[in-house]
Amino acid sequence: MAGLSLAGTVAGCAPSAQETPSAASETAAPGSSALASSGAEGSGASYKDGTYTADGTYKSPNGTETVGVQLTLASGKVSAVDITQHPSNPNTRKFQGEFAGGIAEQVVGKSLDEIKVSKIAGSSLTSGGFNQAVEAIKTQAR
Amino acid sequence: MPHPGWQNFGFDGIGTNWEISTPEPLDPGLRSRVLAEVERYDSIWSRFRGNSLVTRIAAQPGQFDLPAESAGLAALYRVLYTLSDGAMTPLIGESLEQLGYDPGYSLRPRGAAAPPPAWDDVLEWCGTSLTAHAPLVLDIGAAGKGRLVDLLADMLRDHGITDFFIDASGDLLNNGEQPVTVGLEHPYDASKAIGAVSLGPGALCASASNRRAWGDGLHHVLDGTTGTPVRTVVAAWAMAGTAMEADALATALFLVPAQVLERQFRFSWLKVFSNGSAEYSAEFEGALFT
Repeated sequence: MAGLSLAGTVAGCAPSAQETPSAASETAAPGSSALASSGAEGSGASYKDGTYTADGTYKSPNGTETVGVQLTLASGKVSAVDITQHPSNPNTRKFQGEFAGGIAEQVVGKSLDEIKVSKIAGSSLTSGGFNQAVEAIKTQAR
Repeated sequence: MPHPGWQNFGFDGIGTNWEISTPEPLDPGLRSRVLAEVERYDSIWSRFRGNSLVTRIAAQPGQFDLPAESAGLAALYRVLYTLSDGAMTPLIGESLEQLGYDPGYSLRPRGAAAPPPAWDDVLEWCGTSLTAHAPLVLDIGAAGKGRLVDLLADMLRDHGITDFFIDASGDLLNNGEQPVTVGLEHPYDASKAIGAVSLGPGALCASASNRRAWGDGLHHVLDGTTGTPVRTVVAAWAMAGTAMEADALATALFLVPAQVLERQFRFSWLKVFSNGSAEYSAEFEGALFT
């Protein structure tokens, strides 16, 4: 599995730091929201054919969310409109079905004695040196 | 131990406790080789040893030849460095030392938090070759333990052992068909769990800010763009095919939206925030206690 997910990137050992593969789908074309409202009814050839994308924001009960609009113009007419929502808020993502997982308002702890597990996934126990140093500092701080 | 009747081989390595569990006891020869491999790994990568290769890199810039495990680490770090816009970086060692997490465990900040240099300004790290253009403090803490888990797993498999479980103090690899139920340690109380998941073949690693913490808001998960500890996420878990990926992704979850990581990695995840809320991928559905 490791080889699979890294396969595309191993070759480029020292490329520039700006190779972010995630940015491509969210490129905003400046002015395309104005285009969406005024040029939609195909009033001539004042706009070049192509696909335009832009992001907008709106207020939801969960806070400010972002919505992406993609518009395709063919022969000066809008041939397709695609709305992509990429909200930052997990509640909204879940509501919109984009988020194949879940959220919990508040995590609840149960004593390890109560639950039947043979292993614990958690933060590492720290080395003696670290712990001694923390204790020394606590003592000095008293 | 993960299954009744299994045998544990426990030891200390790279600053923490390890346990390898197998249906039959590991023979003494293999145990020795495991310990030798842990020692070899530490002598290369430890930031806390005066004679390690990483310490030599910090002292004297130049070109260094690294062992084979370097290649996977370099590639993974590069991907995560890019996805995180520099927040996750192997150069974070300098920022950790600035805040007091240094080889002498001074645990006293030398001054204000400071971000490390940009990767391409000081470091060429490709495969098994590393060139430092300036003194730099390499810290592979986010993926290094997982990488060693994978190396030990390879060693066991090479010796014909197919059924085993490695517990590197909370970072886990199940190399067996039988799933193991694993508790998820409470980020603020190690005597509790916030949930439990079934771990099939694969790795489950955690990253949390609770144990390696030493002062007012100071802990070891730093944002490489600022050099300051991350405050919004307090714990994260990642399940992946290898322990190196699971380990690294557990830290990456502190710094990058999970959805960004999902574009590049096949993994499952759980993230707990400082306000006590949690967010998780489908595989963790039902895992949290309510």
